[in-house]
Amino acid sequence: MSLTETPLMDSLARFLDLAAYRQQIVSANIANIDTPGYHALDINFQQELSKALADSQAEIAPETRQVPGLVERPDGNNVSLDREGLLLGQTQLQFSTGVALLRSELRRVSMAIEEGKGQ
Amino acid sequence: MNLFGVLEVSASALGAERMRAEVVASNLANAESTRTPEGGPYRRREVIFASRKPAFALALAQAGGGAAGLNPAGGAAAMPGTAKLNAGSVGVQARAVVEDTAPPLMRYEPGHPDADANGYVAYPNVNPASEMADLMGASRSYEMNVSAISATKQMIQQSLEILK
Repeated sequence: MSLTETPLMDSLARFLDLAAYRQQIVSANIANIDTPGYHALDINFQQELSKALADSQAEIAPETRQVPGLVERPDGNNVSLDREGLLLGQTQLQFSTGVALLRSELRRVSMAIEEGKGQ
Repeated sequence: MNLFGVLEVSASALGAERMRAEVVASNLANAESTRTPEGGPYRRREVIFASRKPAFALALAQAGGGAAGLNPAGGAAAMPGTAKLNAGSVGVQARAVVEDTAPPLMRYEPGHPDADANGYVAYPNVNPASEMADLMGASRSYEMNVSAISATKQMIQQSLEILK
């Protein structure tokens, strides 16, 4: 940590990384909505986030697993359009929140620098 | 892993769904074709979808590029602190176009030039209702992937906002 890099920034960076990762998984599920035999995948966001925040040096390697409880169609595919659509919106909003928080944190640091200039 | 890789996943689905719609269009266009270059009536075609890894990530891994986060599982270790592309994050491709093996529809038209000895003409086994349903499915899936692309684009746009 340095003067211009607060712990919150690091946490937010990890949060954004994880949101982007989930976006990829959701996009892959949507892309494979007509692929026979494909099963929807997801990560446990809460769990992965607390894991990523606990150890700031660790590599972010979320554990993806198949989503239980989805109805499988006759072709063996179990992607639910409603679920993925909802997750798409949710992930997007999570990302927006992260970006907004990161910007405000950067503004705060910048403000501190500007204040010092007055002397 | 980066957000541009997500765009590639969605783009692969756009290509595959478009191909599916094209095949449906060809089936509908040839619903009455009794002659083909291979001989016999037109046979209904169908697209087979299969999932695949994004081409760019694969190419980069094969080229030995250890770029952060783009390694498919099994590749070189990702840079610490960056998420690596999971084996589960895959695009889709139209793997093959196969012909329907269902027998052609036989219609009694003795005056038709392609009629057999008994006066029956072999017509393609194309069912317009099921083709239309397939076309709608392809169109809806296409739309869904376009939504995913807009969402990802917005996220990329927002990350650029951090720089301002």
